[in-house]
Amino acid sequence: MSAPPLLRIEFAARAEALSDVRAAVQRALAAQGLAARDTAQLVLAIDEACANIIRHAYRECDGGCIGLCIERRRGRLRFRLRDRAPAVDPGCLRPRNLEECRPGGLGINIIDETMDHWRLRPLRHRCGNVLTMVRKLHARTAP
Amino acid sequence: MNKGCELSRDGDWAVLKVWGEVDLSWSQDVRRQVLDGFAKVRALAVQLEAVSYIDSSGIAALVEGFQHARGKGGRFALLAPSEPVRAVLELARLDRVFPIFADLAAARSAE
Repeated sequence: MSAPPLLRIEFAARAEALSDVRAAVQRALAAQGLAARDTAQLVLAIDEACANIIRHAYRECDGGCIGLCIERRRGRLRFRLRDRAPAVDPGCLRPRNLEECRPGGLGINIIDETMDHWRLRPLRHRCGNVLTMVRKLHARTAP
Repeated sequence: MNKGCELSRDGDWAVLKVWGEVDLSWSQDVRRQVLDGFAKVRALAVQLEAVSYIDSSGIAALVEGFQHARGKGGRFALLAPSEPVRAVLELARLDRVFPIFADLAAARSAE
């Protein structure tokens, strides 16, 4: 039997909800043996992923929701974000060149830098997308 | 208030003090204040000592200020960024781009 998730929440896809989401993620990760800086970076990456869903998938329209599930399995943290927005083309999500100094577009870079791997999957038969992000624990855990 | 920003004037510099968590819910306000800061002067310093969190939308507001100053021959500086701000600047490799100083006096002396 698999362990229960560290966190499973659903929240309104609104920027005003993000502060509470960050606090919930922070609490869920508190006992996972991560360095404070790593925890902060994971919280940031989740926040960026949620912000992208709000801005680009739901296009800041009211009424949408986001589900977040965090699990720890086999030395990995798995973060899964589920929305019900129109399908997003995963090919559009690419980190940008950080040598270019311009506003915006850093969210994917932050996710890319923080996670060991991630994948966005638009749901074929239903409205929505699932973003799965995985971070290995052992290589980066605090001594 | 646990978050906010306040624009003031110190000689030929505008100083924008920001505090609390800067995220998507109000980063547009910060952006507006950054651009307003250049309304009467050509130099803006953003005080970030009391910022407990910043996301990429908040960083974008700072990048816009930096670009505005560069485009108009003005000055832009970050003052005393907190550890959470520094961490995001490093992640985005912007710590090498922004002029960062301990305080306004240090920014002035670099003129």
